[in-house]
Amino acid sequence: MDAFELLVWVLRLSFLGLLYLFLAYVVRTLWRDLRTSAAVADRALGRLMVIASPGGRPATGAALPLQAVNSLGRDINNTIPLDDAFASAFHARLTFRGRTWYLEDLASTNGTFLNGQPVAMPTPLGYGDEIQVGQVRFRLDRPA
Amino acid sequence: MTSAPLVGLRAAALEIRPRRRDRETLLLLAAAVALLVGWISLSTTEAGRLAVGDPAPLLAYLAALGLCHLAFVVTGRRTDQVLLPVVGLLGGISLLFMNRLPQDLVQQQVGPLELTLGPLQLLWLLLSLAVLTVLAIVVRNDSWLRSYKYSWAVAGVLLLLLVFALGEEVNGARLSLRLGPLAGQPSELLKIILVVFLAGYLAEYRPLLAGMSLRLGVLRLPPLPYLLPMLAMWGVALAVVVVQRDLGAALLFFGVFLALLYLATQRASFVALGVALAVVGAVLLYLLQAHVRTRFQIWVDPFATAQGSGYQVVQALYAFGRGGILGTGLGAGLPAVSGGVPVPAVHTDFVFTGLAEELGTTGALAILGLYLVLAERGLRIAAGAADDFRALLAAGLTLVIVLQAAIISAGNLKLIPLTGVTLPFVSYGGSSLLASGICVGLLLALSDAGVEAPPPPGRPGPAERFRRRLAGGRERLGRAVA
Amino acid sequence: MSGPRVGSAPPLPRGLLRLAIVVIAAYSALALGLGYWQGIRAQALTEDPGNPIVAAVRDAPRGRILDARGTVLAQSVTRGGVQVRSYPQPLAAPVVGYWSPTLGAAGLERTYDAQLSGFVGITPVDRLLRKFRPDPTAAQDVVTSLDVRLQADAARLLGGRRGAIVAIEPSTGRVLAMVSSPSYDPNKLVDPATGAAYLASLSAGDASASPLLNRATQGRYTPGSVFKIVTAIAGLGSGKITPATTFPDQPAEEKTGFVVQGYTVVDGHHDFTGHTALDLTEATAVSCNIYYAHAGLAIGAADLRAWARQLGFEASIPFDLPVAPSQVTAGTGPLNGFVDEVELANAAYGQGTTFVTPLQMALVAATVADGGLLMRPTLVDALRASADGSLIEQRQPQVWRTVLPASEATAVRQAMQAAVESPWGKPFAGSAKIPGVPTAGKTGTAQLGGSGEPHAWFIGFAPANAPRIAVAVLLEQGGHGGQVAAPIGGQLMGDWLKLAP
Repeated sequence: MDAFELLVWVLRLSFLGLLYLFLAYVVRTLWRDLRTSAAVADRALGRLMVIASPGGRPATGAALPLQAVNSLGRDINNTIPLDDAFASAFHARLTFRGRTWYLEDLASTNGTFLNGQPVAMPTPLGYGDEIQVGQVRFRLDRPA
Repeated sequence: MTSAPLVGLRAAALEIRPRRRDRETLLLLAAAVALLVGWISLSTTEAGRLAVGDPAPLLAYLAALGLCHLAFVVTGRRTDQVLLPVVGLLGGISLLFMNRLPQDLVQQQVGPLELTLGPLQLLWLLLSLAVLTVLAIVVRNDSWLRSYKYSWAVAGVLLLLLVFALGEEVNGARLSLRLGPLAGQPSELLKIILVVFLAGYLAEYRPLLAGMSLRLGVLRLPPLPYLLPMLAMWGVALAVVVVQRDLGAALLFFGVFLALLYLATQRASFVALGVALAVVGAVLLYLLQAHVRTRFQIWVDPFATAQGSGYQVVQALYAFGRGGILGTGLGAGLPAVSGGVPVPAVHTDFVFTGLAEELGTTGALAILGLYLVLAERGLRIAAGAADDFRALLAAGLTLVIVLQAAIISAGNLKLIPLTGVTLPFVSYGGSSLLASGICVGLLLALSDAGVEAPPPPGRPGPAERFRRRLAGGRERLGRAVA
Repeated sequence: MSGPRVGSAPPLPRGLLRLAIVVIAAYSALALGLGYWQGIRAQALTEDPGNPIVAAVRDAPRGRILDARGTVLAQSVTRGGVQVRSYPQPLAAPVVGYWSPTLGAAGLERTYDAQLSGFVGITPVDRLLRKFRPDPTAAQDVVTSLDVRLQADAARLLGGRRGAIVAIEPSTGRVLAMVSSPSYDPNKLVDPATGAAYLASLSAGDASASPLLNRATQGRYTPGSVFKIVTAIAGLGSGKITPATTFPDQPAEEKTGFVVQGYTVVDGHHDFTGHTALDLTEATAVSCNIYYAHAGLAIGAADLRAWARQLGFEASIPFDLPVAPSQVTAGTGPLNGFVDEVELANAAYGQGTTFVTPLQMALVAATVADGGLLMRPTLVDALRASADGSLIEQRQPQVWRTVLPASEATAVRQAMQAAVESPWGKPFAGSAKIPGVPTAGKTGTAQLGGSGEPHAWFIGFAPANAPRIAVAVLLEQGGHGGQVAAPIGGQLMGDWLKLAP
């Protein structure tokens, strides 16, 4: 093998090698992203403090961790089930979209209230606002 | 120059704050080094001694990549940092390969200049990068996509009709649309419109589609009214095959549709139904359309017609064989046989074959790996999206690229019948490069965690209102009984 | 988490994960496809006749074949847009052979196909390396050691009679001429229009004519008395006889015959030696069968075969063309392959089951001429790049075997010179004498049994004191060696000495 062939070989294999070096960098980046985002996913987006709960479920004073989508109602399939005669089966939905929380009434019989006002449309709310579903009252708090 | 007014303007406009993007910098540097070595390898092989040839096209391209990066840094948006380098490397490989091929494969008059394959591809790559960058920086809300989904759908159908009426036939497929001096392949635009429409439609009706079902024996089918879009999509795909003779686009449309439908509903029965429809459609087309039959027969045994209709596929297989594990090296494959390229359409449909010959299995796997990285980033952007529309949009845009790359590579490798779609960011062609640029540009915009929040869930649609009344009624009924 | 219900859809990420798995599965299938075509099927695809690389090799101009002075023996010409081989010197056909995409190849065209086509793809490593050459078909010219003038002279001397002539330069082993007759016109054979029909006509007809057979390397003939030189070499080499060795019974047995195990060896055609017990030189000069029968028995089966092997017998001689092995005996008997002493005695003067190729006998003459050194025979002097004529490989002469010490070789040389020039020898081989040049040689008249004419043989070299050419001449059933073959050999050697003074 003469010098030129050797040179061509080296160049070819270097190019292939560099392609894989690039892929290795990318995979390292992806791996780091995966680990940080996993850590983020485990963190709750907020907490719902139970101010009053005549039915005892949830217990008064409890701090319920919130996911991006939370549903409240009497049915046990809600993410936050309520033992309250005045609550509908699927009563309200509390969602985190982008950077804002929204409260939404799901056509409940007795309505959903935000700081004492009935919620007709999906309404943005902030930390410290008070939510009432049936007889149960909550306060939206920052994550712990 | 005084800087005071400029600063004032900037502050007033958008509160622009530059932000470092170290990962992107590093990855772009790695890509640039790889491409430079590739260029030297190519020039050396062609010259027969150590040479860099005329590196101007590559340097221009790398400079453009640098400018995109700079624009991202200056505007300070927190978009994904992996997509640009991956796309940049794919485009760079394309630039190398288009400069390596015989230049007279494509000749086009651009203004006063008569441009050939290499320069034309450089031009389209730069345009594609520009589109990508502008979209990634400028798009800060999605209402223009979200709110007009039906308008987009109408535009798509009009485009299809336009092709039907005015389309030009190239190689037996009516793919090309010429309006005055502009010519392009509308199905490239159509696939993006389709994804936008599907994302909007599925995001709105997702709860209904997922929840309800129609029992038909052991089958759980979606409720009848919601079957309609599936049937419509099926119809569109068939129409694309019949009207455009474009099997690849049809396969891509239907595949993306099924994937998004599954994503929205996670109902395996829908996918099964869709696949069944696809099979029925394929059989119908096989029976009715001669060109579909030909394609199928070529796929079954290309060597039977090695000098006729199977020529391309057979030549592609030879090229794969010549490449082997390590490849022939850039510039050393495809010896011109009596002045011609042995694999026809090696710059478009068979670019994967050409690269696999010169870079071998090793290089081809790296290229497939780049598309997988694109898939990972795109699906991650979808997973982290603020709402369903954005998630479906991101997933759809990702799939358009990843699925298209898989379809054409599989066709090259004779895993499926050959269909004429491009390899995104690598094949020669303006429409394809621009469409791919738009896809990744939108993906980048969607990846920005600091982008405007999606609008609050609006007034419920008619279907939603009906459902809520139904639920409310049941509730009241239940309580009355109690 | 509960199952899907009205109004609540499952979260997207789970679906995204499944989608990702599908994508990975699809790309894995692509990777497997790549591995199949580029790994498992790569070799078969690359060698497929439809592959443009294979086709390019087939259609590319081949290199030329030249004689030692640059005369073109074979070249590629374009005829009607197709590459066709052309043979300006059809006389060289037995050596050069032919090359045709449909009929295959023979001769040097076949042996040097890789170099002529420029596709030296014999080993996988070679094949891989060649892929990086910008032009994978860098054809090479093959420069032979033939001199087309001598080749033409030899063909003229044979005059279309069935037979073969081999001429070798003893000091190098270079083959100067190699003629087989009857021969064929390779131009007709490679012409796409006439090739198939011409090939059929060559194969049909008189089977013994066999124009496609290269008699010089593939024909095996009973040697007759030329084999006595091999016996002499074996005797001197093994020390079983010396130049002075005589057999006392030999003069008497000229009359009565030499009875070996009941079989009578007869001679009787040199009455003029009378009662002289002949020594090696004299016995060779008069070609005494009885002397050599005694010599063969004295040497013994093992040594006779051993020295014959040293000369190249019983194996394919390494050469640029395929060579049929020559044999001393059919090799199945108990006496070291010989059936009995009768066969050994017969073999010692070239009858029995001894068969030789003309090339083998030319090598025997060349070994004696070169002082006991057997040079490796070669047809190719050099390989040059077709494009610019630059030298790629220069073949150097190689000593193949050291058969005899120089002194012993000189004894054989003197015996062969006596066969041509001494008064006793002249009646037999005198017709080979080159005027004014010391000439050595030995004739052979190989009896075939039955009623056919014998094979006529001559081997020799000249000038005897400083040989520049060694020859073997064979005429199939041509008659008496001294009358038919020896004049041809002498004429040819004389012509060469004039051509290359």
